[in-house]
Amino acid sequence: MADVLMAGSSSADFTRRQHLAKTFEAYRADLDAGNERRERLIILSRATTQLSKKLIFHLHRGATASPSARAKNIKEGRQKENEIWTNFIKIRDDLVAGEDHESFWRWTREVTPGMEEYIEASSFLHYLDHGSLITLEEVQRNLSDKETGEPLVVVTPEDYILGMSDLTGELMRYATNGQWSFAPLQLNKVYGSRYAEGNTALSTGDHESPLSGRSYPLNTTVLPCAAHQADLADFDSIPPSRLNSHMARKLAKKQEETTRSLQKIESVCYALRLRLIEYADRPDILRQMAKRALDDAAAAGQDKDGERGDD
Amino acid sequence: MADLAPVPTSASASAPTSVDSILTSVISQLETEQNLRKQLREAIDPIDDLARSAATELNRLHSAGASEHSRICERALETVGKAHPLWIEVGKLLPKGEFYRADRSRPRYNFAISPVARSLVTSIAFARFMLHDELVPAFTAANIMGLGQDETGELQLTADDYLLGVIGMVNELPRLSINAVTAQNFALPVKIAAFVNDIFASYSMLNLRNDILRRKFDSLKYDLKRCEDVVYDLTLRGLAPAPANA
Repeated sequence: MADVLMAGSSSADFTRRQHLAKTFEAYRADLDAGNERRERLIILSRATTQLSKKLIFHLHRGATASPSARAKNIKEGRQKENEIWTNFIKIRDDLVAGEDHESFWRWTREVTPGMEEYIEASSFLHYLDHGSLITLEEVQRNLSDKETGEPLVVVTPEDYILGMSDLTGELMRYATNGQWSFAPLQLNKVYGSRYAEGNTALSTGDHESPLSGRSYPLNTTVLPCAAHQADLADFDSIPPSRLNSHMARKLAKKQEETTRSLQKIESVCYALRLRLIEYADRPDILRQMAKRALDDAAAAGQDKDGERGDD
Repeated sequence: MADLAPVPTSASASAPTSVDSILTSVISQLETEQNLRKQLREAIDPIDDLARSAATELNRLHSAGASEHSRICERALETVGKAHPLWIEVGKLLPKGEFYRADRSRPRYNFAISPVARSLVTSIAFARFMLHDELVPAFTAANIMGLGQDETGELQLTADDYLLGVIGMVNELPRLSINAVTAQNFALPVKIAAFVNDIFASYSMLNLRNDILRRKFDSLKYDLKRCEDVVYDLTLRGLAPAPANA
């Protein structure tokens, strides 16, 4: 084989090979620089994900505490958020350091996973703090340079929608943590009316329940929370033609998850409503039952997951 | 669950309404981007046509006689050269700083630019090899396809697209080598084998990670082997031309 190869190698070819070696050295440097930057960004993105998850757990721990403890919890949450924010500064700095002012878009695949987690965490924080859904503009403002106002990374509508879809999971957990206050029942009232009335049902909330728990701070937040969830559960209404296929797939998957948590809550509410009629004058017993119903629902959910796993 | 629904009250009307309007504004942003995507798609289509007709032209190399080769290659390069004004149009549509967004990274923008650029590189490299027995450098390839000048703004030929495009050309060469033998052109297979060998050696210099470029690179060695096998068959039968330096 070597002889055959030699047959083709004239002196001109030798020069060509040397010439090629030189140009390919340049290509190699180009690719290497890209690979190194990719590695750095992936590490930063992972760190962002980790910190964001910690922030979410932190918020859940404090969400059902007394008002003063909650305020402290949120304040600490803000500090943690700021810590995560410095990661985005690092990401921006790395991109700017590129010789031709590297475009964010070239590296978005590396940056996005951490950013999604951050959006989830900060939107949850925003919700606990203000009781409202964060807007895309606010997310983008959070992810901007505080002095120049230039975006550190770019948040697209898709990032936002997927992040809000993730948020529903946190809200559901938050709501079920408030089980002792019969939050689930209220959640479901909002859902139920939504289903009954279609898109306009969003605007309904119910305060007639004797268990609306004026004494529990949580209840006041759970209602709008449920409304958001009902609305987000309705992401199906976003026409698929406006999404790219990748995005549509991702959203469909998240929707499944949202629907599952929604059903969990609904079955709890069903049990609660029945008991409510029976034991309307015995709040302590009701509280017990709510807890049991939730545990059952959680167990049923696990069974279901188990079956799915066996398939 | 509808039967459990309470009579609606206006108690929490304000928050949900704002949720609704937030989503509406996000959806309208999606719409704007989708329109842009459509415009870009339409602007790239004619370049795609050029790339295809250049490839079709070059495809005739497999059946045409050796005397026609340079005319075919020149015509193909001429076709590719018409892309420049079209790229300018694409560049105008592209929002500032978003070349890579349109290029590949964003799933929603994963349309045409990269595939078209690769296909153009393939044709250019093919034609230049046949005409000058050289591997066209990335810079020159970008110029020939009209992407090297300032007017095309942020549009550029990326290293990845260039390297992938060249491999696309190498994938064509074993077939050409075999067809050359059929047409009794015994010099071309030797020329091709030496060329592919040089390219393979050059690509071996790159530190590739596990991506599409790496997989395409892996295909090179099979192309090299097929080209060498043809030369072997010729040498065995004393059909290969005498080496120039022997």
